Amino acid sequence: MSKFTLNGNPVEVQVPDDTPLLWVIRDDLGATGTKFGCGIGMCGACTVHLNGRAIRSCITRVGDVAGADIVTIEGLDPAGEHPLQKAWIETQAPQCGYCQSGQIMQAATLLADFPDPTDADIDAVMNGNLCRCMAYPRIRRAIKLAARELRAGREAEA
Amino acid sequence: MNKFAHWQQQARPATRLTRRGFLIGAAGAGVTLAFLPEGQAAATDPDAAAAAGVFEPTIWYDIDGDGIVTVNIAEAEMGQHVGSALARIVAEELEADWSRVRIRYADSDPKWGLMVTGGSWSVWQNFVPLSRAGAAGRMALLEAGARLLGTSADRCTARNGEIRAGNRAVGYGEIVRRGGLGRTYSADELEAMPIKPPSERRLIGSSFDALDVPAKTNGAARYGIDARVDGMLYGRPLLPPTRYGAVVNGIDDGGARDVPGYVKTIALEDPSGTVPGWVVVLAESYGAALAASRRVSVDWTPGKTAGVGEADLIEEGRRLVNAPDGGSMVVDDDGVQAAFDGAAETLEAEYTTATALHFQMEPLNALAYQAEDGRWEIHTGNQWQSLILPVLAEALEVPEDRIVMRTYLLGGGFGRRLNGDYAVPAALAAKAEGRPVKLVLTREDDVRFDSVRSASVQRLRAAFDADGAVTGFEHHAAAGWPTLIMAPGFMPKGVNDEPYDPFAIQGAVHWYALPHRLRAITNALANDTFRPGWLRSVGAGWVNWALESFMDELARSRGADPVQFRLDRLLAEGDNAGSAPNAVGGAARQANVLRRLRERLAADGPPPADTGIGIATTYGQERAMPTWTACAARVHVDRNTGKVTCRKLTLVIDCGTVIHPDGALAQAEGAALWGLSLALHEGAAFEAGQVRDTNLDRYTPLRMSDVPELDIELVDSTEAPVGMGEPATTVVGPAIGNAIFDAVGVRLRHLPIRADAVRAGLASV
Amino acid sequence: MRILLVLVLLLLAALFYAWESPIDPVTPPEADAFSAAAVARGEALAGAGNCATCHTVSGGAPYAGGRPMATGFGTVHATNITPHPEDGIGRWSEEAFVRAMREGVRRDGAHLFPAFPYTHFAHTSDDDLAALYAYFMTRQPVAGGVPDNTLPFPLNVRLLQAGWKLLYFDGGGDVSDPGRDDVWNRGAYLAEGLGHCGACHTPRNALGAERGDAAYAGAVIDDWYAPALTSANGAPLPWTRDELFAYLRQGATDLHGVAAGSMSAVVHDGLARLPDSDIEALAVYFADLAGAPERIEPAAVRDAMAGLDADHTGRALYAYACESCHYNAPGAPRALRPELTLNSAVTGPDPTNFLRLTLAGLGVGEGHPAAFMHGYAGALTDADIVAIARYLRGPAAAEAAGWRDLDARLAELRTALEARP
Repeated sequence: MSKFTLNGNPVEVQVPDDTPLLWVIRDDLGATGTKFGCGIGMCGACTVHLNGRAIRSCITRVGDVAGADIVTIEGLDPAGEHPLQKAWIETQAPQCGYCQSGQIMQAATLLADFPDPTDADIDAVMNGNLCRCMAYPRIRRAIKLAARELRAGREAEA
Repeated sequence: MNKFAHWQQQARPATRLTRRGFLIGAAGAGVTLAFLPEGQAAATDPDAAAAAGVFEPTIWYDIDGDGIVTVNIAEAEMGQHVGSALARIVAEELEADWSRVRIRYADSDPKWGLMVTGGSWSVWQNFVPLSRAGAAGRMALLEAGARLLGTSADRCTARNGEIRAGNRAVGYGEIVRRGGLGRTYSADELEAMPIKPPSERRLIGSSFDALDVPAKTNGAARYGIDARVDGMLYGRPLLPPTRYGAVVNGIDDGGARDVPGYVKTIALEDPSGTVPGWVVVLAESYGAALAASRRVSVDWTPGKTAGVGEADLIEEGRRLVNAPDGGSMVVDDDGVQAAFDGAAETLEAEYTTATALHFQMEPLNALAYQAEDGRWEIHTGNQWQSLILPVLAEALEVPEDRIVMRTYLLGGGFGRRLNGDYAVPAALAAKAEGRPVKLVLTREDDVRFDSVRSASVQRLRAAFDADGAVTGFEHHAAAGWPTLIMAPGFMPKGVNDEPYDPFAIQGAVHWYALPHRLRAITNALANDTFRPGWLRSVGAGWVNWALESFMDELARSRGADPVQFRLDRLLAEGDNAGSAPNAVGGAARQANVLRRLRERLAADGPPPADTGIGIATTYGQERAMPTWTACAARVHVDRNTGKVTCRKLTLVIDCGTVIHPDGALAQAEGAALWGLSLALHEGAAFEAGQVRDTNLDRYTPLRMSDVPELDIELVDSTEAPVGMGEPATTVVGPAIGNAIFDAVGVRLRHLPIRADAVRAGLASV
Repeated sequence: MRILLVLVLLLLAALFYAWESPIDPVTPPEADAFSAAAVARGEALAGAGNCATCHTVSGGAPYAGGRPMATGFGTVHATNITPHPEDGIGRWSEEAFVRAMREGVRRDGAHLFPAFPYTHFAHTSDDDLAALYAYFMTRQPVAGGVPDNTLPFPLNVRLLQAGWKLLYFDGGGDVSDPGRDDVWNRGAYLAEGLGHCGACHTPRNALGAERGDAAYAGAVIDDWYAPALTSANGAPLPWTRDELFAYLRQGATDLHGVAAGSMSAVVHDGLARLPDSDIEALAVYFADLAGAPERIEPAAVRDAMAGLDADHTGRALYAYACESCHYNAPGAPRALRPELTLNSAVTGPDPTNFLRLTLAGLGVGEGHPAAFMHGYAGALTDADIVAIARYLRGPAAAEAAGWRDLDARLAELRTALEARP
């Protein structure tokens, strides 16, 4: 049994502690925006946030997230209008779209750590997220666009 | 028609919507606008006919009382934004308000005829029928709108979802609400529909956002793996040691029985022979199925290919291309034999490519169950429902019309989901258990069960006369043939009356003025070891590697400039003159993209040390549907490590009319990077009858940091729209190989290109 | 016969030496027998001593004992030190408590095993011991014994511990150095006494005693490597006072990495109860012990991060599996993104921590409070992990003895970790 919060809601699941968080999120809790790709933490399709930072849910034991806040793509922004999501639409980044939940969740941590990311920062942090449609040039563009948007927002507040 | 197009007439499924009538009638709360089924005469009461569903449902659309136009899409959505492009074509002629256009993906139904998405065909084969369907709707709305406005249709115009007369207007929604839209058009009337000239287009060719994109940014998009139904079991297969011929001797699940949620492990009985020797572990959750599957052991007797390795596949291919006989002669121009017999000099080279994986992001999966009415439901993303439905019928031992395939988004297709074999084990397990079963392959399972692109061997030869002119050109290509194994009805015959897999040789039937002999040979060892698949750009993905590398070798051997050498032979004459509508212009259009490429490169300046520029070109896959493509790769070679880094790819593509410019550009970007990934980053190998590297720790597709600068030009054209999904893939490999030669003088003849091969080449230069 | 007599006499003499008398049980004191100030001070001191980590099982009641400690001789279970009259220390007088802390003797006179670090606690002042007594006697009593230890005969004979003490226990006492300032001396007092840092960081001899000739030289304990705290530490960048402070205060530093395993508990469950001044004192003491400079120049950080082999076979694995979390911009490492080229788990002489963290990850609340790492035991093969390790170590550093046979160590750790609950 494990208790944690998913997208702000407390949840409790009756599954063995070694069950991958990914399948708990998708099958037990019904949030299917998080995807299964490789199962070994090397494609990034299953990326979610644990206490605000990107992790690979396919190799995270649900028993290890007890008490943590888990956020999936469905919970990134209540209206689906996070600056990253808007930038993804603006640049028409998704092709098949399967990897994009993970790309966006990883990009959110990228921008938290590197608010003004260089190409090298983007390369290094996003390399773990495979896009088989090879939408990489647009993902890069979208990240930079969102970074500008977030910066403008911060400056407006300041 | 040129001589090479004959097979397209045999194989082409794209004629499905010719000679049909068109129906417009009230149905439900709206109006349906649809093709009539083949052979169906125009209905006397179109409203009654529409309400009864008497229409061809693959290509149709409806308009509701709010003026919302919903276009049905029978194509697989796998990243190409096909629904948006097709809806855009309808909306253009319908003069619809684009903000009120929606798409709806269609499920399978036997009466729909062929359902397939592949070969970059979608826009090309639907452009004319969809334009006519849109135009028919516009004409009907004009007539009905004019009546409501109290004027005549010729005094009205249709624009942006309204019929306008002077300063008065009536919206499409109101026309629908007020009725009177019902009518039919005969096939002849439909063919005479006034299609807009390109200069009057407002939607086609202009920028817009794809309709499928927003749901792909917020988790709402539904893929096959997201399918669920109450009471379903989850299954993970245990794959036999060989693709064919393995027999299950025993299953020991003793270790799995204490896994909470574990149900049982079953060996599948498969009347269709699709998944021999498969075992499925079933549980109440996928987590439990995974955990249990690691504790089940199965004793198999493997099939006969248990010892086959990559080198065996290549060796067999080599034997085949070196044997003088065998295979299908696809092209055999007069005088080729004489040219070689009398040659003053010949040049010969062998090119090979390794096995290549699809590695689509969404691992294969399917949900299967028998509905209350006895009909079988198959929920999965698929590219060729018409191919797998008869197989499913055989496996389930029910008539095909008792099976429906529900449509989902595809988490990548790239041709893997043309072969729907993965739906069969889900169906068999559901039947055996009498419960819905959702089967999900792990990544490792997916790779082992991939319908890989076969390893290939090609031998090319050229004959020169005493003046050094090329007088003969030979090309022999051996590989596993997907079409032979899965869809032999699509195989045309060569000039020697032997059938061949068109998808395993397309791209080699070039437009160069060179006396040509082209032979395609199937590699039976490959066909037995795995089920060969169609992989993005299919045959052209590897035949063009040989063709364009060899063209470069030829040019270099003559001391000629590689671009000029090709231009001198791309002459729109005779067989290469091209024909309207699709191949109009012929070789001249291929020459045009090469010239434009040369102009773009002029701005780059000369490359620095150990950096080279390589050129390759292609007509895409089909001479009857050519996408004229030229590519230059700018590549750096590290002389110490042999590492090859692609710095820039420049592409010029002429695909005729571009419906969705940004979508087309995205396809070109993705396809070019696919080509780069296949050339430098991928490449699989068989070992002991199985794919050796089954996950991303050992299989390394291109990542973010590997992306070079991209410079892509789509030629402005109003010619017939052709394919955009694949052509850019096929030029990148040879362009890189040619660039390496340009940089350091090393000629590489195997894909993928590895650093050790470059180092070995450098050592022997 | 005479020889026998001599032996018997010797044995009697030894018995006389070894024998400790029981101290009478007392009625458990009432909670209001202690001042609130003493209890509060005891609470902080219990943090300094990190008592809870050993005396609490995972998920169990605080101080109720039971945690197994794998020693080289067998498994010892920490005891229940709640004031429960039967199962805990409820009937221990303050005298008995002080004797246990100072001499390693139970109330009933039995010798305690040195897994209980009385050799360090013996340095603790009377006042502090009184405060600790006040704290423990006011905890919630919890019933329940602990499992039997699994020490084989004759190691399980407690009386023999007297001999061990004769050899290795100096009796404690004042560790202060009048030549040093108060801050340094405070650090020494905490580190050598209640903090018992040497219990993990000093290698032990064949009989399980800390080696006096190798104080803080680094040691593997319970499948963790406790790095050297002297100048032999060998980290690419020195452990300055600021780095030590950051590490001991928040569990992670920009330039060295995170506190994992039992060290994470030391920081988050133990030292967290101490004021900044005590953490500062520890930092001053250990920075001095290691001879660290005052500060690290930015250029040194940039230089230390450079220099991995871009063509190494482990590079791709690292890039695709690790870098999304571990990448840092040149010269700008940060604690939340542990920089592995600087990290002791990678650069140290022993691979245990690197391999263990790679296999099992780092739980919520361990290390940096905001970070989490999933384990790769089920994801990466031994060959993959070895390739990543070799890539990060670089060609020269790979020669460290402990890093030679990584496959064997990986196999050991996989087995050990699978056996854990």
